[in-house]
Amino acid sequence: MMKSGSKLLSAAEAAASVPDGSRIGFGGFAVYQKPMGFVRELVRQKKKGLTIVGSAQSYEVDLLAAVCALDTVETSYVGLEAYGMARHFRRAVESGRLKVVDYPEMVSWDRFRANQENLPFWPVPFLGGLDILTTNSAIRKFDCPLTGRIMYAVPAANPDVVVIHALAADERGNVVTPAKHLLPQANDVLLARSCDRVIVTAEKIVDNAFIRRHADQVQIPSYRVEAVVEMPWGAHPTPALGAYHADRSAYEAWVETADGEAVLERWLDRHVRVADNDAYLDAIGGARLARLIDLGDLT
Amino acid sequence: MSVHPEPASLYEMLACVLADDMRDREVGFTGLLTGEAAAIWGTGIPVVAMELARRTHAPDLTMLLAGCYHNPDLSVLDRMPDCEHDAQLRDLPAEARTRDYPGQWALKRGDVSFGFSSAVQVDRVGNINSVCIGDHDRPKVRLVGPILQPEHMTCFRREYVMMPRHERRCFVERVDFVSGVGFPGGRKGREALGLDWGGPRFVMTPLCIFDFDEEAGAMKVRSIHPGVAPEKVQAETGFDLGPLDNVPQTPVPDARRLDLIREVVDPRCLLLPRERGVAGPIMTGDTK
Repeated sequence: MMKSGSKLLSAAEAAASVPDGSRIGFGGFAVYQKPMGFVRELVRQKKKGLTIVGSAQSYEVDLLAAVCALDTVETSYVGLEAYGMARHFRRAVESGRLKVVDYPEMVSWDRFRANQENLPFWPVPFLGGLDILTTNSAIRKFDCPLTGRIMYAVPAANPDVVVIHALAADERGNVVTPAKHLLPQANDVLLARSCDRVIVTAEKIVDNAFIRRHADQVQIPSYRVEAVVEMPWGAHPTPALGAYHADRSAYEAWVETADGEAVLERWLDRHVRVADNDAYLDAIGGARLARLIDLGDLT
Repeated sequence: MSVHPEPASLYEMLACVLADDMRDREVGFTGLLTGEAAAIWGTGIPVVAMELARRTHAPDLTMLLAGCYHNPDLSVLDRMPDCEHDAQLRDLPAEARTRDYPGQWALKRGDVSFGFSSAVQVDRVGNINSVCIGDHDRPKVRLVGPILQPEHMTCFRREYVMMPRHERRCFVERVDFVSGVGFPGGRKGREALGLDWGGPRFVMTPLCIFDFDEEAGAMKVRSIHPGVAPEKVQAETGFDLGPLDNVPQTPVPDARRLDLIREVVDPRCLLLPRERGVAGPIMTGDTK
């Protein structure tokens, strides 16, 4: 009998499978549970010409914009919430280096729902009057064939590859979602069902027996996953719900990188131009990481 | 009830006007905004208004905090959370918690009665903009993006636009990018765009409250706050407001409602600052 196959890769191997110019969908939402460790690996490998397609973006897009890795961002929001504007992103857009295709927030989720249903577009009736139409020729107006009412065909998200960060997965690619999950984890599940290439970074690689004990929470089964990467603290500095909180001092350090080229270079030397994710965690420091742990409700 | 309560602050006054506009069994949606002014105008005033309405004429109003937490118990908080999707809110007692998006509320069927948004620009027909200043592809200033504004202004039954600043550069003839649709061409204009319902109801500022002539599709001054000269309102607005001489004063809340806000709704000032100097101008005038 053949043995069960392992999809376990190193972060470097998984990131190497993402070509320059790819359309990438990152899991999480806004400043929550972003696959930041994977994003740092993309920067390490000097990826270029990427398009990020999503629903709300933050530190991942700001970092990729800072190193000129992006051509286009298609989303409803790019910002750092409590920490203000994403200034690297903003500068790149204002200089004309980076193109933004603006979509409404719920419609941004619908674009992935279209892919989940294998549809080329999602019908949206409420876009009339928006400059989202005048700046995006990919959205087409049509009359509903049944009622005649005005509709807009919004193109599916069409990611080439989806990358999410999860708390636990086994080597085969079964992914566990926390019982008390919130929107960012729901977005992970949607994204994982919208694309044929799904890369999962996980806090912990667990054995199959652990998966079987949490079967109700396995919303992303192995057959939807191409590769699994062990990546402890892989969402840092964003929070991973059920594992750790946001690292506010790391947010502050990132915000400062927009003050000048030298600050950014120092930050990159320390956090990205290092061997791997373990070296990154060492640079952040164990004592600091330990203090971010989320005890949940101890059930 | 206090015998000689402190006079109402601007924020308390606006919360009372909003509460009066809410009806029982409605569903109100507010985000969790961060930063001093944004948090007060985008979260503090709306939450106080909804809680006040729930404790007076609208006991079955449902408040959606951060769009996710149905009637959360704010009394267990030491401070207002500044993150929408992390552990502090996850563990907050509530009647229902949204795990998916959309969740319990069927957004596009119009389940949400009203919401709150802010913007960098508002124009005379009530369009709002949070995307960019200048040309979209080469903007002078790139902003955060449309977020949920398009849905707020069309899928919600009505919208309250909260503007912490009333300046000419924010109140413009035509926004640089329409990320939320007002009443271009009036109600008929919205129908022609295929929009079934919704649109801005009030635009609230530190100087006045605007509402809309929905037939004509024009923003108009509904009331001017006590102590504010009509000339000031016009001077800080980048389009003609017409004659303002007969515009009424914004009603100042009575002692009973101030007591409810200060003793019951927000006894620990988590939502609205109350110290003099940071609570906004003091409002004295005709009480309601």
